[in-house]
Amino acid sequence: MKKTTGEKIFDVFNVILMIALSITMLYPYINQIAISLNDGMDTILGGITVYPRKFTWVNYRTIFTSDSISRAFFLTVFIAVAHTLTSLFVTTAAAYTMSKKDLPFKNAITWFLIIPMYISGGIIPTFILYRYLGLLNNVLVYIIPGAFSFYNMIIIRTFIKGLPASLEESAMLDGANEAIVLFKIILPLSMPVIATVALWLAVGAWNSWTATLYYVNERSLYTLQYVVMQLIKQSDVLQQLAAETALTGGEMTKEAQTTSESVKAAAIIFSTIPIVLTYPFLQKYFVKGVTIGAVKD
Amino acid sequence: MKAKVKVKAEKMSRAELIAKLKRYKFLYLLLLPAVVYTFIFCYVTMGGLVMAFQDYDIIGGIFESPFVGLKNFITVFSTPKMLHAIKNTLVYSSVGLFLGTPFPIMLALLLNELKLRRFKKITQTISYMPHFLSWISVVGMLSTFFATYGTYNDLMAKMFGDSYERVNILMDAKYFLPVIFWSGIWKSIGWNSIIYLAAISGIDQAMYEAATVDGCSRFKQVFYITLPSIMPTIIIIFIMATGGLVNLNFEQVYGFQNLYTQEETEVINTLIYRMGIQNGQYSLSTAFGFAQSFVSFLIVFTSNIIVKKLSGTGIW
Repeated sequence: MKKTTGEKIFDVFNVILMIALSITMLYPYINQIAISLNDGMDTILGGITVYPRKFTWVNYRTIFTSDSISRAFFLTVFIAVAHTLTSLFVTTAAAYTMSKKDLPFKNAITWFLIIPMYISGGIIPTFILYRYLGLLNNVLVYIIPGAFSFYNMIIIRTFIKGLPASLEESAMLDGANEAIVLFKIILPLSMPVIATVALWLAVGAWNSWTATLYYVNERSLYTLQYVVMQLIKQSDVLQQLAAETALTGGEMTKEAQTTSESVKAAAIIFSTIPIVLTYPFLQKYFVKGVTIGAVKD
Repeated sequence: MKAKVKVKAEKMSRAELIAKLKRYKFLYLLLLPAVVYTFIFCYVTMGGLVMAFQDYDIIGGIFESPFVGLKNFITVFSTPKMLHAIKNTLVYSSVGLFLGTPFPIMLALLLNELKLRRFKKITQTISYMPHFLSWISVVGMLSTFFATYGTYNDLMAKMFGDSYERVNILMDAKYFLPVIFWSGIWKSIGWNSIIYLAAISGIDQAMYEAATVDGCSRFKQVFYITLPSIMPTIIIIFIMATGGLVNLNFEQVYGFQNLYTQEETEVINTLIYRMGIQNGQYSLSTAFGFAQSFVSFLIVFTSNIIVKKLSGTGIW
């Protein structure tokens, strides 16, 4: 088919626009990598773009030797695993039961579980409840809340419903009970959807920091993103101080400022690199969530 | 005789029900954690909304704190600080909703016009990246980008020469709205385009073929076939997003706030956090949150009615 000149111009323009978009998406991250690998005193002179001018590993060494960051890292790995497993257990178990067509009281149970999607008590009643339950300053506050998600349950249930019913029936005829059917047939076949939901949960847990902000004061329970948040805010304060002292003609201790900016960059890269490196290969699982959700509507 | 049969049938079904309940006891056991969880973490906190009508004190708790009627709600709507937060919330989020909605749609349309499959796939993958980062990492990256000697100011200085005065726009409250708006677009444009691309891929190809035969240009096809075909998706996404008009992303706003901008840029969510959790004004902030979710629900409800009347598409 022949293309008109206008269409050809548009095609070229479109490709250029998409390249510009990709650069806009990637640049701040690459800039951050460059700064994290650049000498802190050199960074303060400005002008770092996509490559380090004075290469050094020292910012990362600071991160790895910092007690608070390594503790937060291991805690966050533990939380991501524990939360994902807990939530998968509760949600999948419920999804299997809710996939039964002739379950007595199924409608009432569905209503009971769906109402909280529309009405919630909000953050203060939640805070008060957690205090009564002893969840404040407790590692369980990262693991138990969110252990059941109606949305994820629907996703898993829809998948289970799509499995051939004959498999289950013939197993039942052979004398298998519900537990055997669940563990030997349903769970192995549902692995694709369970893996998908597991990824959503793990990334969510990895990126979370507001739970710490709301419910935790104890330093040993800070999550990785929360520590990164503190570094960012702290580096902002130092920048502001620098700006102020510059205004009044004073000199800011350069070391304090440079270290904070470079260490901040290293911390951001360290805490995000596991996700940035893996998401291109796992994205189809995430995309599925968007489209399944849309079909449901 | 008939009545007797009926009674018998009922008895049968009751016996059947009991048998079924017995047979399904393992299944109910599997459901138990979800039900217990939902009861404690959702319904008990819903009960906590009572605090909005009380003068809650920690020692008395919910059961012994005195009721004060609507006093807390009156305070919410008559305190300048809170009214200011309401105003900020409405301004920031309506700009985001009304001006922001077209961006992912435009991206989806442009991606759809790309003929090189591989290039399209790579562009899409890159555009998803910010979605997977936490807001706080995004804030950290952008604070480097907009720093006084960061890339943004370097570019501006190159463009406008020596007369350009370097400013850190993150330290000035008057730039807060554009910062919130554009950072929101940057983080979500790629991810939000997925749903529209999925809708586009569902359009019947025969329509395009027929249009081409009739001599309809590609540009006209976008306006007369693609856009009208994905209109229902656009409308549904829009209605669901209207609920966010009184509910800005806490992580984003809190992340971008700093000593210089915080007071000017307070929104409902950040103020609830500061009043409730930091200062312990439990009843007042519960009332504030209650009013917020009530209004949010009302907005979704009304916009659903309006849009349904206008276009026949709705979420309920």
